[in-house]
Amino acid sequence: MPLLELRDVTSFYGSVQALKGISLRVEPGEIVTLLGANGAGKSTTLRSISGLMRPASGEIFFDGQSISRLGAEAIVRLGISHVPEGRRIFPGLTVSENIMLGASSRAGVSKAQLRSEVGEMFAIFPDLERLEKALGWSLSGGQQQMLAVARGLMARPKLLMLDEPSLGLAPIIVQQLFAVIRNLQQRGMTILLVEQNAHMALSVAHRGYVLETGSLTVEGSPAELLDNEDVRAAYLGGARPNAAN
Amino acid sequence: MTIQTSTAGASAPAPARAPVAAPSRRFGAGALVLLMLLAAALPLIPFVVKVNPYILNIFMQAATYAVAVLGMTVVLGYTGQIHLGQAAFFGIGAYSVALGTLVLGLNFWLALLLGIVLASLAGFILGLTTLRVGGHYLAMVTISFQVIFDLILTNWIAVTRGPDGISGIGRPSLFGYTLADDKAYLAFCVLVLYLVIFGVWWLPKTRLGRAMQSVRENEMAAEVSGVATLVVKVVAFTMCSALGAVGGALYAAGFAYISPDNFSFKISIEFLTMTLLGGSQSPFGGALGTVLLILLPEWLRFLKEIYMAAYGLAVILIMVFMPEGIWGIVMRAWRRLWPRRPLAHGAVEPFKLDFPLTDTAPVLQLVNVQKHFGGVRAVDGIDIDVARGTVHALIGPNGSGKTTTLNVLNGIYRPTAGQIIVDGKDLTHTSPHVRAGHGVGRTFQNIRLFPALSALENVMIGAQRAHNPIERSESALRRRALSTLDFVGLLDRADQVVRSLPYGHQRLVEIARSLAGSPKLLLLDEPAAGLNQTEKQELVKLLKRLRGHGITIFLIEHDMGLIVQVSDRISVLNFGRKIAEGTPDEVLRHPAVIAAYLGESVHAAA
Repeated sequence: MPLLELRDVTSFYGSVQALKGISLRVEPGEIVTLLGANGAGKSTTLRSISGLMRPASGEIFFDGQSISRLGAEAIVRLGISHVPEGRRIFPGLTVSENIMLGASSRAGVSKAQLRSEVGEMFAIFPDLERLEKALGWSLSGGQQQMLAVARGLMARPKLLMLDEPSLGLAPIIVQQLFAVIRNLQQRGMTILLVEQNAHMALSVAHRGYVLETGSLTVEGSPAELLDNEDVRAAYLGGARPNAAN
Repeated sequence: MTIQTSTAGASAPAPARAPVAAPSRRFGAGALVLLMLLAAALPLIPFVVKVNPYILNIFMQAATYAVAVLGMTVVLGYTGQIHLGQAAFFGIGAYSVALGTLVLGLNFWLALLLGIVLASLAGFILGLTTLRVGGHYLAMVTISFQVIFDLILTNWIAVTRGPDGISGIGRPSLFGYTLADDKAYLAFCVLVLYLVIFGVWWLPKTRLGRAMQSVRENEMAAEVSGVATLVVKVVAFTMCSALGAVGGALYAAGFAYISPDNFSFKISIEFLTMTLLGGSQSPFGGALGTVLLILLPEWLRFLKEIYMAAYGLAVILIMVFMPEGIWGIVMRAWRRLWPRRPLAHGAVEPFKLDFPLTDTAPVLQLVNVQKHFGGVRAVDGIDIDVARGTVHALIGPNGSGKTTTLNVLNGIYRPTAGQIIVDGKDLTHTSPHVRAGHGVGRTFQNIRLFPALSALENVMIGAQRAHNPIERSESALRRRALSTLDFVGLLDRADQVVRSLPYGHQRLVEIARSLAGSPKLLLLDEPAAGLNQTEKQELVKLLKRLRGHGITIFLIEHDMGLIVQVSDRISVLNFGRKIAEGTPDEVLRHPAVIAAYLGESVHAAA
């Protein structure tokens, strides 16, 4: 049974149809990536799954249970963590407070446990440790992005949804981030990844979908997608990717 | 025969095409003319039909209030500043007329002028002292001003005659004819109101009006685009005060009696409610809201004891269900019936941006620039020279001080120490809009546009910066904006509201906004962030095309592929200091840069 399944989901912004019948599935332990141009509906898909938007029609199943009518809080408690695009951090809280808040959906976590988990996040993002007591607003754009990802991980989700996690990050941090993503998957986490950096995304993903103006057009393994002429022309800048290392 | 067939052939397609759009548009224009004629006829009705004097009084109140409310349209609707003391300015106008005519013996017009001058002066001083701080200070200070004004009216009895108020205020005369008759005076007030509506309606089509809207939409972006935001806010507030005084003066002469109750905080709130209820962004909304809020209590009088409660409920319901005000709903329905005509612009001039490359002095020099936040040394002594006509990239780990450097560079932050020299001029201590006037353009990491304005308006605001070497006329601005939109490939989106554009297009509009101002130096903060590979390639092409025009570009970017393709020189920051500088080849091989920034696998550079 897939961990996540979307069946013919449609969604509207006012009178504009953002999703025109999306069906996709994510198996347990998989990394699945959603590719597509700006405005294709990638973020809308994630927002529909996490309950920030209500689908107009269609069904969304998580762990065999329909979640299309649940509120965002209930969906987080079921184990879906959404790291939205655009660094939505709490500007007036410190870095560690921001991180700890990521665990607020989990009941009965002891203070000591929380501290040790924050420590794990610092191990992943050493830059954040140095800034432990700094307020959210004082962070640079890239640091805010790291903080948002760390906060998402604190929910210990079964399914982690990342919306453009590499946006505005230095190359070295992007490499670390993708190493973290691989590592999380090896530890059993399932990940749904939206990325503009298609090469990077396909280098960690097991499968990928291509979204075009609200519809899924292509599905396949990274190798198949990298070989697909249309996909290359549209999302990979046309050039054949260099063999990764 | 031949003639017949040819005419038939020529006329046949015409009716087939015509019914689609033309008649409905023509009908729309007809409906508009009809509405205007009706509006013009409105004040003449009492001359033809006998109208109850009480009704005349109510409309006189509505017309005079509406003038003050239109001041609120300028400050709140256009400029986005919260003002809670308009009744005080209304009072300054009213008391100027009352005391000016009765005590000083001035005629009405001089007293009106006195009121306008006093109110403008008060508005100017209040605005200049509080608008500098921004935020909600204006709201707090205007409340305080309102309360002080109220106390003076009530307690300085020797001058204001205290709570008893002033009676016996005379009506003005116009061309030797005294407007003593209520019908004539009402017609006069309505005429003034129409003139004010026209002026306020016209305002957004001017430089000043666009600047006001840019302040409302995004103050930082406005400042960086060359709008002197403080001046614009003070001007808006002064205009609002003057209109308040005009309304108050007409009110005093209309009712012949005024007392402090007519100018209390409660009335200020009523003005605010009228503005929001009708729709704060249009003078028609303001006028409509005023008439409605004055008539509503009258209509509800049949409810006897509960009528005030019903009135309050009605206001709440309208506010909750019509956030854009009644006029917003009306306009939406109107647009559905008669959609906006697509922008007709004919042939567009080619985009011009030519800077002579004869001068070899650097266009930008950063000399030992430092910026400390408390104990944090975000930028810790940077020296960079940027050569004219080049693309110079600034890279470095997250938090190494790149964006801070850019913010110091265009004046959003004042540096702790050091100098910023643009084209030989020391601009270290100038504000962002002055730097824009010297040809420093900028885009932001997280796009800062004027979301509710069209792409064309956004770019026009960039084009209207001081010293932009184009003609000053409105049509020249428009042509400049259109040619810039054409240059970035968005001409067909010119009349779209930028909020509705996809992300990639918003980035281009932001670049076009700064290009329209003919910047010598263009600062780009992560222009490729959030673009996919194909869009990035488009951006690379755009940057390369720009280089042909002699513009200098200083950019921050993390996409090494893009940087390698466009830059002539790269400076690398780490912990607020420059750790390397040189050509892309030199910098990318630099061990310190690899360790701090690129990481081991540089394959992303391809």
